[in-house]
Amino acid sequence: MALKIRSMKDFNAGLMFMGIGGLFAIGANQYPMGTAVRMGPAYFPSILGWGTVALGLFVFIESFIVEDTAPTRTAWRPLILVIGSVCAFAALINTGGLITATVVLIILSALGGHEFKWKEAVISATFLSITVWLIFDKALGLPFKLFPWS
Amino acid sequence: MTELIQHLSLGFSVALTLQNLMYCFIGCFLGTLIGVLPGIGPVATIAMLLPITFNLPPTPALIMLAGIYYGASYGGSTTAILVNLPGESSSVVTCIDGYQMGRQGRAGPALAIAALGSFFAGCVGTILIALFGPPLAELAFEFGAAEYFSMMVLGLVSAVVLAHGSLIKAVCMILVGLLLGIVGTDVNSGIARYSFGISELSDGIGFVSVAMGMFGFGEIIANLEQGEEREVNTSKVGSLMPTWTDLKMSFGPIVRGTALGTIFGILPGSHTVIASFSSYTLEKKLAKDPSRFGKGAIEGVAGPEAANNAAAQTSFIPLLTLGIPTGAVMALMVGAMTIQGIAPGPQVMTQKPDLFWGMIASMWVGNLMLVILNLPLISMWVQFLKIPYRVLFPGIILFCCIGAFSVNNSPAEVYLAALFGFFGYFSNKWGCEPGPLLLGFVLGPLMEENLRRAMLISRGDPSVFFTRPISCGMLVVALFLLLIIVLPQIRKKREEVVYESAD
Repeated sequence: MALKIRSMKDFNAGLMFMGIGGLFAIGANQYPMGTAVRMGPAYFPSILGWGTVALGLFVFIESFIVEDTAPTRTAWRPLILVIGSVCAFAALINTGGLITATVVLIILSALGGHEFKWKEAVISATFLSITVWLIFDKALGLPFKLFPWS
Repeated sequence: MTELIQHLSLGFSVALTLQNLMYCFIGCFLGTLIGVLPGIGPVATIAMLLPITFNLPPTPALIMLAGIYYGASYGGSTTAILVNLPGESSSVVTCIDGYQMGRQGRAGPALAIAALGSFFAGCVGTILIALFGPPLAELAFEFGAAEYFSMMVLGLVSAVVLAHGSLIKAVCMILVGLLLGIVGTDVNSGIARYSFGISELSDGIGFVSVAMGMFGFGEIIANLEQGEEREVNTSKVGSLMPTWTDLKMSFGPIVRGTALGTIFGILPGSHTVIASFSSYTLEKKLAKDPSRFGKGAIEGVAGPEAANNAAAQTSFIPLLTLGIPTGAVMALMVGAMTIQGIAPGPQVMTQKPDLFWGMIASMWVGNLMLVILNLPLISMWVQFLKIPYRVLFPGIILFCCIGAFSVNNSPAEVYLAALFGFFGYFSNKWGCEPGPLLLGFVLGPLMEENLRRAMLISRGDPSVFFTRPISCGMLVVALFLLLIIVLPQIRKKREEVVYESAD
């Protein structure tokens, strides 16, 4: 009997929920359960975790029964570039400084947009670096390291 | 009556200080600025601007946040009328007739009526909060742990029931949100749960990271996935003055919209969306010539705008009186209050009356500001909209990152935001609503605490939730709501209400 996936959305979502719920539920085992009267740290997360697994299973099964439109195509390039640029910012802000992080973020994330124009990106990065410096360093006086050599 | 006047005078004396006026203005201004940007809704706007309020004392911080919220709603309407791109889900309705009015060169009156309608709704909303706040808070003092738990269950269920999209997936999102809220140190036992030995996690996941990731980054990536053609009505804004006929025709819709919005605002769920859709449907049914709708009928702008502002105002009521957030925006407010060291709940009204009434008064002031100050600033917003998205979005990401970082001065929050951005993009793509997750996230620890306490007091007897009348009543309503949605006829009707006007 060949099972046809009628809803890719539900298929993926169901798996995702079962995975997340399962992780939390199994992870709860390392903590004491306690009793209903005196709930241990594992009590609530176990209930929730297994509940999520159960509902996720329901969604998963539903994906073979109920028809739904296909999910839109994953836009990998913007996804990776945006998430990547955020991670780059996180990595650079304490080492390279705020301005470095800003410039890298702007350029990297702009690459994820539709039309990337170097001139635009550079002007934008410069403008935003100055704005960020004015607002966060000059006006608000927050303790940011600005450059790698600060 | 005299008590009401007393409370309001206290409130206005707080709201009208130069400092608080300034913060209110900054909030409205920034909120409109970000809210105007297509693809950034009020939740993302608040999440983005939230860190700015951390360094402020509680009252100005909350005043500014409320200003941001209204500003974002107003900005969303502006974008809907000028660019046919809803800045937020409740602006979808405004797009329909508002954009058509814009194409006919009547963007000015459309914007003006939207603002005036919202202001009227705001005034009514303020009075209602002032009237019903204290009695509701008194009722809440009767609440014990069981009642709080059941109320949160009811809140979560109604949020899901009234939202659009798959019910069961929304419930899953709530559960995931609850689980994520549990990450961190368990207050009762002192054990750090799910922290993997990472010290930043032992304090819990910052809700700014979750909000920015799912609503900010997730939305931006989804926007980038689509194309980028927008016809902007900017050249035809012209005069802002509505004609006398416009005003006459809008009066009824505004009043009816306000009434609808008030009711929906108090109920948990995506109040603003349901309110504006219902108003549109109602006006269309009541109109002498329904065929005008969809082609630039001003009632199609006046009613929904008033409705969604009324809903936005009254949605503060459950938060400020009972301490329960009823939607994603309110969830953020709870987070903000907690960071400020204020435990949301009925005691806020009695222990910090200047905060409570000051905030209510400043909501009214904020509404006024939006009408007076933002209308003349339309040309500025219009210039902003001319900037191509590909130049705007890196800047948005930048401010989100700085905001996330500044919560704890730690890159960990930024990494988490990236993770949630990734998660948010895919979960959204697969039909899972992010709002319920945020709501669950904020309520998670509270629910667990109340559940524990209720069980402790009842010595392990779970029937306590049903033997106590208020608690039982709320759970019964929750169950009822769930059952209703499962019934096929209601299911169809619900989809109709939500999707009909979207064509």
